[in-house]
Amino acid sequence: MIYQAPSGARDLLPLDVARKRWIEQRLQQVFHGWGYHRMITPTLEHMKTLTAGGAVQPETVIQVWDADEGLLGLRPELTASIARAAVTRLAAGVMPQRLYYNANVFRRQTSVVGSSQHEFFQAGVELLGGEGLRADAEVLLLLADCLTAVGLPHWHLVLGEAGLTRSLLSFFPADLRQSLRQAIAQMDWLAVAQLPLEPGLRERALSFFDLRGTPAMVLQQVSDWGLDPAQQDALHNLKSLVELLEAHPSITLDLSLLQTFDYYTGIVFEVVSAPDGGQRVLGQGGRYDQLLSLYHPQGEALPGIGFSLNIEDLQQVLLPLGKLPQQTAQSEWLVAAVADPTETDAAIAAAFHHAQILRAATPGAQRVEVELCQRSPADTRRYAQERRIHNIAWVHADGSVQTEGVTSAATC
Amino acid sequence: MLTVALPKGALLKDSIRLFQAVGLDFSVLLDSDNRLLQITDPTQTAQGLLVRAQDVPVYVEYGQAQLGVVGYDVLREKKPQVAHLVDLGFGHCRMSVAVPSHSPYHSALEFPPHSRVASKFVHCARDYFGQLDLPVEIIPLYGSVELGPITGMSEAIVDLVSTGRTLRDNGLVELECLFESTARLIAHPLSYRLSRDHLTHWLAQLRTVRLDTPVAI
Repeated sequence: MIYQAPSGARDLLPLDVARKRWIEQRLQQVFHGWGYHRMITPTLEHMKTLTAGGAVQPETVIQVWDADEGLLGLRPELTASIARAAVTRLAAGVMPQRLYYNANVFRRQTSVVGSSQHEFFQAGVELLGGEGLRADAEVLLLLADCLTAVGLPHWHLVLGEAGLTRSLLSFFPADLRQSLRQAIAQMDWLAVAQLPLEPGLRERALSFFDLRGTPAMVLQQVSDWGLDPAQQDALHNLKSLVELLEAHPSITLDLSLLQTFDYYTGIVFEVVSAPDGGQRVLGQGGRYDQLLSLYHPQGEALPGIGFSLNIEDLQQVLLPLGKLPQQTAQSEWLVAAVADPTETDAAIAAAFHHAQILRAATPGAQRVEVELCQRSPADTRRYAQERRIHNIAWVHADGSVQTEGVTSAATC
Repeated sequence: MLTVALPKGALLKDSIRLFQAVGLDFSVLLDSDNRLLQITDPTQTAQGLLVRAQDVPVYVEYGQAQLGVVGYDVLREKKPQVAHLVDLGFGHCRMSVAVPSHSPYHSALEFPPHSRVASKFVHCARDYFGQLDLPVEIIPLYGSVELGPITGMSEAIVDLVSTGRTLRDNGLVELECLFESTARLIAHPLSYRLSRDHLTHWLAQLRTVRLDTPVAI
C-alpha cells in the first residue's frame, strides 16, 4: 500500500517552508509597518457566505456536507470571511480597520486544462471603511512596498476602474449591453464585431475592447467619449491616483477590464511578473464598496479595498533571482555524549543538559542538536560535516565538555 | 520573442501564408525534410511552434505562445481561456450530425432517447443534444468516427464536414449543422492586454492581410 496525497495537494518539505516563510515574514513586516493587524478566520465557511458577493462560483469551491451546518465550503479567498466577521464584530469600532491575513485557500479546478493544484497560500490586506483616492493610493503603495520588500525588481501593474468601465456600457443600446459586457470580459473581439451596432457605435465598441495602454494615452482617449459628470469625476480620481503612483514606472491602464459580475466597484488591479519571470499574476485586488452591505444585518454599506498576493507565484519568480534561502537553517552545535560503557546514561543526561545551556545562551537564535545514533567519533565528525554543523561538543559523564570546530567537508 | 502556435494538418499552409504576408516566414515547417518543431523566422523576430491543432489553445492558454491559429471547432470543444481576435476566413467546414443514408431519421429530434452518438467532439455533441433536451449516450472516439454507424456501434455521429466526401463514400448523410467553423487567430489574454512583444502591432498587420487576401481553401 502506497499512501499518496490527493492529486492537487502538496507537501511542503523543510526547504519549501523556509522559502515560503522568508517571503511571508517580509510581507508581514510591511503590513505591520503600515499599521495593519492580522486576522485569522475559519477555513470552513457556509457556502452562502462564500458566494454572497457573486464573484465565487459554487462549482469552484471544495464543498463539505455537515449534518448540522448544511453545506460548507473550504474558503477560496479571504475577503468574504473578513467581510462577514468585520461587519458583525468590528463594525462598531473606529474606522478605518486595517486588516491582513496569511492563509491557505482552496479551489476546485473546473477547466479542462490548467493546474490541478487545489490548495494555495495567500497573504493580503483589507482596508475597511477607507474611501476614495487616499485609501486607493494607500493600498497600491502598500502593494508596491510589499514587492520591494521581497526584492522583486521588475513587475507590472494592470490597473482598471470597474465602476467607470461598467458605466461606459451606457453609451451602447440597453439591449446589447449585456452581450457587449460578456464579449469584452471574455476577450472575444469577434463577438464585439458581430453585435448589431450602427457603424459609429461599432467603432466605439471595438475601441472599448482595446481601451488600454499607457495611463496618459488611455485617459486622453476616454475623455473624448463625452463623459457625464460622474464619469468625469471617476476619471479625474484615476488621473490623480496614477500621478500618486508616478514613482512606479510600469503601469498599464486598462479600462476594458470587466467582469461578468458586479463585485468590484472602483479600481481593480493585477500585478504581473516580468516576461522572463513567466508572466505570472503575482497578486490581484480591487475596491468593493457594496460587498460589506451584503453581510451587514441591516444592509449598511461600508467601503472596502484590498489585495492578495499569491505566495507560490512569488516563490516561483523569486527563486531564479537567488534571493530565497538555498538550504535549510543549519545547527550551530552538535552535542555528543562520549561513549563509555559503564556510564552511558550519565553521559547522555550530561549531553542533554549541556545542549540546553547552549540554547539558553542565545535564546531562539542558536540551533543545537544532540547526537542520537551512537556514532563513533569519526562518524560523528563526518555527520557534522555533511550537515554543515560548525561545532561539536563532546560531553563526558562527569559533565566535562571538550569542544572542537568542524572543518568543512571540502578540505577533508 | 513573439511565439506563434501553428496547427499541423489542414490549416498549416494557409496559416504560414498569413504570417508570410506580414513578414514572418515559417515555411520551413512545410518542408517535408524538416523535423524541427520549434523554429525561428529568418528575421529572428518570431518563433513558430508546430503543434497538433487540438494543442494550439493549450500553448496559448499557458502563455507559451502569444498567438495561435486554430479552428473554431476546437475553440467550441475545449472552451479555452484565450482572446478570440480574428476570423481568418480559411479552413471553412461545419460541425454536423450525420447518420447512415438508410437511417429512418430525418432530423436529430427524431432520435429515440438514449441513442448512441459517436464523436471526437464530445463537448460539442453533448451541448447540442443538451440544447435539444434529448438524452443521448456519447461515445468518444479519436478518429474514423464514420465507423460508428457502419459497424452499428452508434446510430449517428457528430463530426467535422468540409467537402462531405468522406461521409458520402461511407454511406452517411448530414442531418443537421451544429455550427460553421473557420480558422481563428487567438491570443494569450495577459500578453494581449500588456501588448507583450509588440503583439498589438502584429495584430494590426494580420488584420489587414486577412482583408486583402482572397479566401482560399
